[in-house]
Amino acid sequence: MNAPSPALVAPRPERLRLVGQRRQILAVMHQRLMFGMLVFAGVVALIALRILWLAAFGDHAGRKEGLTTLIPERGDIVDRDGEPLARTIDAWTIAIHPGKVIGDKLELARRLAELMPEHSQEQYFALLKSGKPFFYLRRRAPPGLVEAVNALGEPGLAIQQEPDRLYPQTSLAAHVIGYTDIDGHGVAGMERAFDKYLSDEATRGQPLVLSIDSRVQQALEHELLDAMTHFSAIGAAGVVMDIRTGEVLAMTSLPQLNPNAAGEGTDDARFNRATLGVYELGSTFKPFTVAMAMDSGIIKNFGQIYPCPDELHAYGHVVHDTHPYGRPCSVAEIMKESSNIGTAQIADQVGARRQQYFLKKMGFLDPVAIELKERGRTLTPGSRWGPFETMTVGFGHGIAVTPLHLATGYATLFNGGVYRPATLLKVGPNHPVVPGSRVFSEDTSYKLRGLLRLVVTSGTGRKADAPGYRIGGKTGTAEKLANGHYTSAAVVTSFAGVFPMDDPRYVMVMMLDDPKATAETYGFHTAAWNIGPAFGETVSRIAPMLGVRPDKTREPDMSGVLPFVQDSKPEE
Amino acid sequence: MSGGKSFRSLVMVASCAGAALGCYLVSLRVASERASLEDVETRIVLAQRDLRLLQTEIGTRGRLAQLERWNASVLAMSAPSADQFLNGSFELAKLTQPQHKVEFEAPVVLASAPAPKPSQSPIGQADTDDSGASTSAPPTILLHQASLKTETREVPVKPVDAVPQPTVSKSTDRPVTAASPVAKKSVDKPGLAAAKPVTKPIRLAKNDPLAPLPGKRSAKTPKDSIPAR
Repeated sequence: MNAPSPALVAPRPERLRLVGQRRQILAVMHQRLMFGMLVFAGVVALIALRILWLAAFGDHAGRKEGLTTLIPERGDIVDRDGEPLARTIDAWTIAIHPGKVIGDKLELARRLAELMPEHSQEQYFALLKSGKPFFYLRRRAPPGLVEAVNALGEPGLAIQQEPDRLYPQTSLAAHVIGYTDIDGHGVAGMERAFDKYLSDEATRGQPLVLSIDSRVQQALEHELLDAMTHFSAIGAAGVVMDIRTGEVLAMTSLPQLNPNAAGEGTDDARFNRATLGVYELGSTFKPFTVAMAMDSGIIKNFGQIYPCPDELHAYGHVVHDTHPYGRPCSVAEIMKESSNIGTAQIADQVGARRQQYFLKKMGFLDPVAIELKERGRTLTPGSRWGPFETMTVGFGHGIAVTPLHLATGYATLFNGGVYRPATLLKVGPNHPVVPGSRVFSEDTSYKLRGLLRLVVTSGTGRKADAPGYRIGGKTGTAEKLANGHYTSAAVVTSFAGVFPMDDPRYVMVMMLDDPKATAETYGFHTAAWNIGPAFGETVSRIAPMLGVRPDKTREPDMSGVLPFVQDSKPEE
Repeated sequence: MSGGKSFRSLVMVASCAGAALGCYLVSLRVASERASLEDVETRIVLAQRDLRLLQTEIGTRGRLAQLERWNASVLAMSAPSADQFLNGSFELAKLTQPQHKVEFEAPVVLASAPAPKPSQSPIGQADTDDSGASTSAPPTILLHQASLKTETREVPVKPVDAVPQPTVSKSTDRPVTAASPVAKKSVDKPGLAAAKPVTKPIRLAKNDPLAPLPGKRSAKTPKDSIPAR
């Protein structure tokens, strides 16, 4: 803003013009400069404000994300006491990208074969030369091996942690829990049935609580495995159920399966005999027939007499007994010595329609009601369900059901006559008891207690008794179908029982598939000799865990049956 | 005036800046606190993850099948039988009752026992006043014992060999109670006229086994007590 030098001489007009121009230019320059400065200051202020804002309220660059809660990749499965049965952990995985290998491939193959001897050096070398982009070498690798592989220093080797499904109790309740495939999706058992629940982010934080009691499960599995090995059976199954709620406390199928390596198990081991396998379970059906007859008013009391000849000719067939009475016998005696001839006559009186009605109401004609997807279809006479078939179904032949069906049926018989579907989820606030539907009258249910207790105190089930636990139950031996013919060489033996019989709380079904006779069974392979003793031992192990106190002074009401049992037994 | 004005604005700017700076510092402080809290939370979660991992490992190593195997090979425990369950403290107390202690100190007196111990006073040591009497007649004590068991009137005949078995069994049953009345009797009378008063205390002791045992037995004959068992 320098003042122009005073014009001593009259300025020339062009000069004057120049001064005016210059002033104008200067003003414009000032304006532009000012504008530029303002823009610059505005930008700076904007940035400064933004920084301040971020500093005060923004997310921090150093903040870690996602670790505020511990949600596993897949939900846990726990037993009713919270004991983990299935968990997802981070396991080390060793893999290789053959294309990225820069070292000597032959040498690498040799080292790998040393560290992981499941494949030979040639196999590793072929794998490296194959040109495929990626291979898993070992999943769930132990830390020592990971360290050794890492020390090879080969950039083509990929060592990473991946979520992996672990079953800490190994084979315990394997058929209930099931297992997952390599992508972590359930393919069997509860893993399959509740795959959505276990993998959904909203629900997988909460473990899936099963009704299984792992201690009871272990006891059942162990005793059953003992019996199975002892009698060289090809398989076995067992179920323990709470008869009031329908909760399955233990369920097993043998041979054992390790779900941690389910792929290594045989098809036979993966097969769930308790819910998928259907078997003719024989005489364990007889209590149902008697209950049907009682509810239909055919049997008024257990003193009712039926003719029990040595063999019964009916509808062009012959029914035999293992211990024929050869005299008139009471209902109590029929049940005590498991007479087919007597039961066949009772079933005949019940009739096919009523028999089907009751079986349907107990769920015997449908796949067993449980959460698992592995459920077998009942085999029935179907359209050939005539009078003779009614007789055979009455004593458990000609109809094949799962062991879980049988357990549910016994629960129905002894919980007061109400059918409730079995469940593998713990009953609680989130999973209340199903109201159920009435099948048998309460009176029938009550009277049957004495009848089945009689079988164990003095009938075919004597060896299944565990002193003080008031077991009531029924043996069952059914011949297996081989090439379309029943053969006595191979049998399925089962025992279905309830304890304590004076106030029934738990039902247990144990079954052996094709047990062989041994020296101490005197050549017999019937249920009384093999599964019976195992049943008693299992009850004496699990009953204290389930809160059942042994008491030798208590017995159920036997006044309805004892007067009708003659001392003279048929010869054994 | 204009100078004051410009100063005032400067002060205003300075105070605004100061306030802004103060607010910023507070928010910075809050942010850093929050960050450290999140750090702690993260550490907690990491610790929980480690816990879970360790629990899984322990659970896997101590799985039920493994425990069962150990039980089969080492511990060999089996399910309790029905008789092992008790109905309460009373039944528990009853269990201890029949287990009577064998008092090695108590004199065990056999009907057929010889009498070769005149040297010491086996019974009446506690009661010093009658010790003189007891030393004088140990065989008579044995004879009393025999008479107690049979409770017959022909007791005074003193047949040492006549009733050996009942005496022996009795003394094994209750060496203590059998011994104490003997001592008492020896106090009463060396002669054995009072058979009746002696039998009574024995019966009493049998009926009420929970009563406190008399604590005044003495005399050491351990050699004799062993066969009495």
